[in-house]
Amino acid sequence: MRRKVWLDAAAGALLVATLAAALAVPPERTMGDLARLMFVHVPAAWLAYLAFGVTLVGSAGYLATRRMKWDRLAAGSAEVGVCFNGLTIALGMIWGKSTWGVWWTWDARLVLTAIMFFVYLGYLGLRRGIADPVARARRSAWLGVLGAVQIPIVHFSVVWWRGLHQPPSVIRPGGVQMDDEFRIALAVAVLAFTAVYAALLRRHMENARAEEALAARLASEEVEVAGAAITAPRYGEVD
Amino acid sequence: MTGLWRQAWEIARKDLRTEFRTGEVLLITVPFGAAALMLIPLAIGVDAPLLERVGPGMYWSVVLLFGVLVTVRQSAADGPAQMDVLTLLGLDPAARFAGRAGASALLLLVFEAVLAPLALALYGSDPRGWWWVLAVLPLVAVGLGLLGTLAAAIAAGVASTTLVPLIVVPLSVPMLLAASQVTEGIRVGATIFGWLLLLVVMDLLLAVAGVLSARPLQEAAR
Amino acid sequence: MPPATPAPFRGPGPYTRPVPAAVIDLRSVGVRLGDTPILRDLDLRVEAGEAVGLIGANGSGKTTLLRLLATLLAPTDGEGAVLGASLSSPERFAVRPRIGLIGHTPGLYPQLTLEENLAFVARIAGIPGEAVGEVLDRVGLGLARHRRAAACSHGMQRRGEFARVMLTRPDLLLLDEAHAGLDSQAADLVAHLVEGVRRRGGAAVVVSHEPGRIAPLVGRFVELQAGAVADPGTAAS
Repeated sequence: MRRKVWLDAAAGALLVATLAAALAVPPERTMGDLARLMFVHVPAAWLAYLAFGVTLVGSAGYLATRRMKWDRLAAGSAEVGVCFNGLTIALGMIWGKSTWGVWWTWDARLVLTAIMFFVYLGYLGLRRGIADPVARARRSAWLGVLGAVQIPIVHFSVVWWRGLHQPPSVIRPGGVQMDDEFRIALAVAVLAFTAVYAALLRRHMENARAEEALAARLASEEVEVAGAAITAPRYGEVD
Repeated sequence: MTGLWRQAWEIARKDLRTEFRTGEVLLITVPFGAAALMLIPLAIGVDAPLLERVGPGMYWSVVLLFGVLVTVRQSAADGPAQMDVLTLLGLDPAARFAGRAGASALLLLVFEAVLAPLALALYGSDPRGWWWVLAVLPLVAVGLGLLGTLAAAIAAGVASTTLVPLIVVPLSVPMLLAASQVTEGIRVGATIFGWLLLLVVMDLLLAVAGVLSARPLQEAAR
Repeated sequence: MPPATPAPFRGPGPYTRPVPAAVIDLRSVGVRLGDTPILRDLDLRVEAGEAVGLIGANGSGKTTLLRLLATLLAPTDGEGAVLGASLSSPERFAVRPRIGLIGHTPGLYPQLTLEENLAFVARIAGIPGEAVGEVLDRVGLGLARHRRAAACSHGMQRRGEFARVMLTRPDLLLLDEAHAGLDSQAADLVAHLVEGVRRRGGAAVVVSHEPGRIAPLVGRFVELQAGAVADPGTAAS
């Protein structure tokens, strides 16, 4: 069975393009070369929002239709989202250490992003702990819907609460505020990360479907495994 | 004697293999501890000098309060049926104690090791002179592992997940004191040898108590 | 692929010690849980090579008696000896490896595979590891050896326990409702196990709700009524 690789190839190509763009852009006025981290940190943060938003869609879809493919979508997206979220925080800490001199600051956006990370980590933990697929789908769907409330809160936290973190540059009251070159490079980066997200999500969903099929097959084969392989005990044999 | 250690090793290996498969400590308890470390500054106020001072104490408190969850993890609990099998195999109860405590101690060490840099980052504490603390991490891990396993044996089958923490937390106060005094001592340049000795003595006492009480506790649980 | 004819398994184990003539010898034994008597004034003698069926209504004390025989409980009254060791003294710890108990709930570790479960048992008991694969094949779980116990059905887990007993080769076999939820082929395994113990000169006590099912396996029945032995009868034909 040949797996479609065009999505993976596209993602790879876009990542290369991002790298090129990030290195080609001149150093930023205030932050210098450090600003290039933005091309990973910002898309990662965006993709975390997107991923958890898709989890919301998948969770709602499951609760409405009870079809497992929505659950697979929600779960796969959450897992990728947690990775992007973790990446965002890690890169943010590196950036913060270089810019502000501290690994962490109790800024509203940072704290809320970290809380979002824990909530979805809990989502994954919840799924891992439930063996029955239907119960797992139902319970995590509720958490997936509830958890999505955080997304707008995290994004607008820098506007609502003044703090150290950069105010939003793209989606903000008033429109875009950035140099053209940066804007283009950032757009390429976001596109690349979106492609990576889509590729990872698709693989995850394929794996999940294959796992479910395997579990179903094992369950039905059980009788055959246990029954057919047994030999009638021979009493003459001392065991 | 070698038979005892071999059996203990088998028990520890089984516990660690089960943890590797369920991921209960790494994927649930560690994030829980991390969330706790994050929560405290939100409650007491994000005053940087204050946080820097309370950081080490908060770290050890979280290690103790949440670390006890590592010792009562579901994946390590032996159900009544498994206990019967182990008993009838002639497994020495002391070996079972040693194996379980050893596995818990190792997982606790991982727990401490993951939370330590996080605490340093969140509370902005100065990592200078922290390498002595590396001696304290294993001592606390071993002590908490022994204490938790002993408490679980005492509370066997009686609402252990809530009862064991209640037993462990007060008894772990000397460990908490010693660990935070070592950290504080390094910070101000005071002597820490006495506190390290206290940790070592506590670990030895717990080990002896656990081994001696293993058989009576196992028989009493029936 | 059906397993090749296996050679009889003979290996070192706890069964190298001679079995006393009376494998079970209980005299006026009583067991109390707190103030409630579960077993009262119980006499039971089982000779080497015997298989006894234990029957009685729910709550009559069958499981308690079985656990007493397994040395997992100590008697509060009377004197009892199993495999020559007194049940009221530390002697009973030494004979535990010679006893095999299969209870209601499977004693497998859910996160370990069937093979790992048995390998663990083998290493604790000092039995060579090669035997594990052999006994799994003989109970028909050879193809499922790498499946985690949690992913196995109740019937498969029960077979896993039979494999464990085949591995440890006890001198006293205690089965508590071993037939529950098993197909007929697995039921043959139970007969095989009981027969094996008897031929080695040990003894077996089989608890069942269905006397008819275990009648072919046992030489006589013992009936418990409210914790005491009712008039012992011979096996139904």
